[in-house]
Amino acid sequence: LSRSGGTGTLAQWVLVELQGEVEPRESGSLAGSLLGDLHYTCEGVPVLIVGHHILYGKVVQLEKPFAVLVKQGGAPQPGPGGPHGHYTVTALIKTKLLFKTRPKPIITHVPKKV
Amino acid sequence: AAMRSRAEVDATLQTAKLNPAELLPAVHCLSFGPQAGGGECCLLQLEPGLCAELEAGRSLVIRGEKDEQAVLCSKDKTYDMKIADTSNMLLFMPGCKTPEELNADPAFCNIFHSQIAGFSNNYWELRRCRPKLKKLRKLLMEDPYEGPDSQNDQNLTFSKYTTEDLLSLIQASEEEILHQLQVIDACKIEGYWRILEFDYEMKLLNHVTQLIDSESWPLSKVPLCACLEELGSLEPKEMIEHILLSYGRKYVDDAGEVYFEMNEDKICRAIAQMLLQNAVKFNLSEFEEVWQQSVPEGMKTRLDQLQGLALVDKSSRPETIFLLKVEDLPEDNQERFNSLFGIREKWTEVDITPYIKDLCAEKQTVGALLTKYARSSMLNGVKVYNSRRPIS
Repeated sequence: LSRSGGTGTLAQWVLVELQGEVEPRESGSLAGSLLGDLHYTCEGVPVLIVGHHILYGKVVQLEKPFAVLVKQGGAPQPGPGGPHGHYTVTALIKTKLLFKTRPKPIITHVPKKV
Repeated sequence: AAMRSRAEVDATLQTAKLNPAELLPAVHCLSFGPQAGGGECCLLQLEPGLCAELEAGRSLVIRGEKDEQAVLCSKDKTYDMKIADTSNMLLFMPGCKTPEELNADPAFCNIFHSQIAGFSNNYWELRRCRPKLKKLRKLLMEDPYEGPDSQNDQNLTFSKYTTEDLLSLIQASEEEILHQLQVIDACKIEGYWRILEFDYEMKLLNHVTQLIDSESWPLSKVPLCACLEELGSLEPKEMIEHILLSYGRKYVDDAGEVYFEMNEDKICRAIAQMLLQNAVKFNLSEFEEVWQQSVPEGMKTRLDQLQGLALVDKSSRPETIFLLKVEDLPEDNQERFNSLFGIREKWTEVDITPYIKDLCAEKQTVGALLTKYARSSMLNGVKVYNSRRPIS
């Protein structure tokens, strides 16, 4: 049996949608590692620099917003029948940054020293 | 990981050959938060209305025991939950500003060190569904109330259910559950929801109809007070009021007196059930005669009062009638149709409608259900429906 409830106003988060998978650079956990820099052009186009790639995206208002459910304690095991356990709604997501264009590789001629 | 500095950010921009003049001054440096890979977070796609409910502070509940497919319930609706896979990676970002927000405040020219709270390549999708209420009746039938004199009631409470119990066991929203309790004429006795055992219910009904007859009250104006006074010595007053509420419509006249307009169709139907449950089937014309004689003075019996309760077999000679209660049939669409076609190979739309109309989803018609689950053909100039599958 699960329950979700809000205390006070719910936080608004944003979804970032990327093609492909996210993998850690070295084999290890992702926690703490950098993904990249997120800029916006003056026209509001999101630009994400990940490693040696530039990704151009767009801001999308979601027709169907998402709720972010966080499992309270216990093993996070969605069984065949569905999610079981105790969940809380932590945040709502109404906006996403969709990066669908193929990443442009950053071509460096000479490594620049900072 | 060390936080990136403005110098590092600018160097990256330069390497990427991006012109800072074309960009907003603020930048988000994204990194994975400590919990990110844990799988503790998941996404639930919200159907219209649910977002507003959450923002208004109302709860959503996921219901289902280990062997049941989980459903999500708002205050008054029920939804099936299904995992939807996406080929893309979804990252959840708390505190990530949109261009509008950044433009709104010129003070935003900093570096935001934003942590990704979690990521996923799937999310839960919702689809509105019929509340799964068959279990409600099943639970309450475990221990039907047989009256205050019955021995059974003294003992066990484990097969008795409070509202809270039902909320945790039934895969439906609270409003849907409470509405269904009303539909099945359940009543609360000592805090527990109970269904009356049929014989006891008929006994109570009989007291009332006999009193109506002896007092010559009009069926549309049965006084509550007098009923309680006359019958209070025979049965508990709550039960007398309950039977009046179940089989009548309560109203108050200009003088403030409480009356009941008796529901002729429902009373005739109950008496038919009482007669039909005593045998496998009945000769139709004999049944109709006995039935009319058994109902209170002034009431007229009609076969259409028995929709969803009994079925007439027009193909047998003589024609017969037998008990078939829709609430005894399976709840799942395909199983319901299998069961009906097992009882009778070919059905007319008129005959089958009472046994499938409760399956209709929000905007679905009986016709749509028949198109999906049955095959039609003509029999003696009449359109009939049979199973899509071969009957074994």
